[in-house]
Amino acid sequence: MTLTLAAAEALLTREALYLDRAQWDEWLGLYTEDAIFWMPAWRDELTLTEDPDRELSLIYYRGRRNLEDRVWRARSGLSVASAPRARSVHQVTNILVEADDRVTAAFAVHLFDKRAERTHSFFGRYDYRLARDDDGAWKIAAKKIILLNDTIPTVVDFYSV
Amino acid sequence: MFEASLAKLIDDRPGDGVFRVSRAIFDDPALFDLEMKRIFEGGWVFLGLASQAPGPHDFFTTTVGRVPVLVSRDGQGQLAAFVNSCPHRGAMIAQTMCGHAKLHVCAYHSWSFDSAGRNKGIKWKNAGCYTPAFDGETHDLARLPAFADYKGFLFGSLVPTVPLADHLGEAAKLLDLVAEQSVDGMELVPGAVTFTYDGNWKLQLENCSDAYHFTSAHPSYIRLLEQRKEKPDEATIGSVWAENPAWSEEAEGIQGGSYSFPGGHVLNWGRMDVSPALPLYERAEELAERVGIARRDWMFSMRNLTIFPNLQVAENASSQLRVIRPLSSGRTEMRTWCLAPKGESNEARRQRIRQYEDFFNPSGMATPDDTVSYENCQRGFASRVEPWLQGYARGLGASKEGGNALSDSIGLQPARSVLADAQLCDETLFHSYYREWARRMAGELRA
Repeated sequence: MTLTLAAAEALLTREALYLDRAQWDEWLGLYTEDAIFWMPAWRDELTLTEDPDRELSLIYYRGRRNLEDRVWRARSGLSVASAPRARSVHQVTNILVEADDRVTAAFAVHLFDKRAERTHSFFGRYDYRLARDDDGAWKIAAKKIILLNDTIPTVVDFYSV
Repeated sequence: MFEASLAKLIDDRPGDGVFRVSRAIFDDPALFDLEMKRIFEGGWVFLGLASQAPGPHDFFTTTVGRVPVLVSRDGQGQLAAFVNSCPHRGAMIAQTMCGHAKLHVCAYHSWSFDSAGRNKGIKWKNAGCYTPAFDGETHDLARLPAFADYKGFLFGSLVPTVPLADHLGEAAKLLDLVAEQSVDGMELVPGAVTFTYDGNWKLQLENCSDAYHFTSAHPSYIRLLEQRKEKPDEATIGSVWAENPAWSEEAEGIQGGSYSFPGGHVLNWGRMDVSPALPLYERAEELAERVGIARRDWMFSMRNLTIFPNLQVAENASSQLRVIRPLSSGRTEMRTWCLAPKGESNEARRQRIRQYEDFFNPSGMATPDDTVSYENCQRGFASRVEPWLQGYARGLGASKEGGNALSDSIGLQPARSVLADAQLCDETLFHSYYREWARRMAGELRA
């Protein structure tokens, strides 16, 4: 069965909701075991890094295990940066199915960090590669986050982009 | 003249075993203006690496204090630094982070300059009815009064100052341990990461040299590495931190220490073995032959180096080059890069980058716990109920004049040194920062 826009939109919206509600177990469940989670850095004003093994990324993980580690850290109570976390809303728009399993979208994540009394928005684009699991459900096999405003105000984490 | 006296800001009484710093030096905007004038715009600061402008006519831009600076390589390959501001009306000439230009043309009125900063054209010069007085002036870009290249590390000053060798002093030998990791020199891995924090620049200066915070601020990171070590799989990257005894509170014997130098330069170091967990491991034998066993072993040890006031090189699981850019008394920008020897293998480069991202990035699992702590400090600095901070006293009873056997092994002669077990966590190396700070600020403050 081909990927429909409705199915893609449902998956991306669900991911946004899980992140905003800190339902991180459910969020991890949207990813395949060998998923790639990648937020490249910028070489200069307009060029992203392209080769994560020779160039720097903000985040590059190959395997869901690494995302599980991030979730563990966020919940651990051992990280001052992780708690209290900022309130967030992910707005995912401009969703387009570009090929059989490729989806692009625009995002804006609005954050309010009560401790710092600081509001910030991260924005950019998502590139997804989706895959069907054994039950036929669409999962995230790869997510590339193109963060357009990459001067980071103190901290950025998996749940804030 | 600033109304506070120096003695109210830094309480340096070695004879009494006292060194204290006032909260005021972190959050007073008037002091910040003086710091810009006397420190960042009043002496040597780090500009960047020569490899950021590798070929003829290549350039990169940076700032010195509040001043935009252009570092350009001319047609003969000669590097120079200029104020990145048109002599005509002051507009910034180069507007990109880096690039290649034989001719820089000001976007405002089209005055143009070659890659050596020489004026090459004034639009409609002949029709301009200029006077001979104007023709008698130079119209070139203003050169920084001091500019020097130390093994690929570029420094500049907005005022005439001492030779760079005098500024770096013995600390230059610690830059050598970075610069000489490859015969071809060092390069920045593509991908610059910039972050800000709402805190004073000296919080970053201190944190780099602060062994005391590691197990308190980063337990989530340490525990994760332990978990990865217990249950390794191909998805995760092993880290030298997990192998490292220096950060185990149970470790016995000398695990590290500090060296401090005149000029505000300091090194905080921890013992690390010549281990395959480090990306430099592929060079272990070559380095031993080329630079000797002692210097090779130092290259593998954890080293956090500050070249006052704005350069830090942190070498542990990976290598980070940091440039501190103060924005205001309560706000700082950090420009950071992964530093690597040229000619590194794909496997070592991958290991270097993966360890870097997890530890050093503001999107990683350690740095955010530092920067959020800086912001918590900055809020606390508002208090003058008890202005003196107590964070400069650890190690006062252990600090000794001169070096020790380990510095002797590489011919390094620090002004002071501390040898530490895992729990000493010297704070006396910060004194070097504040003695230099006091020396630079002395002209503006009452004694």
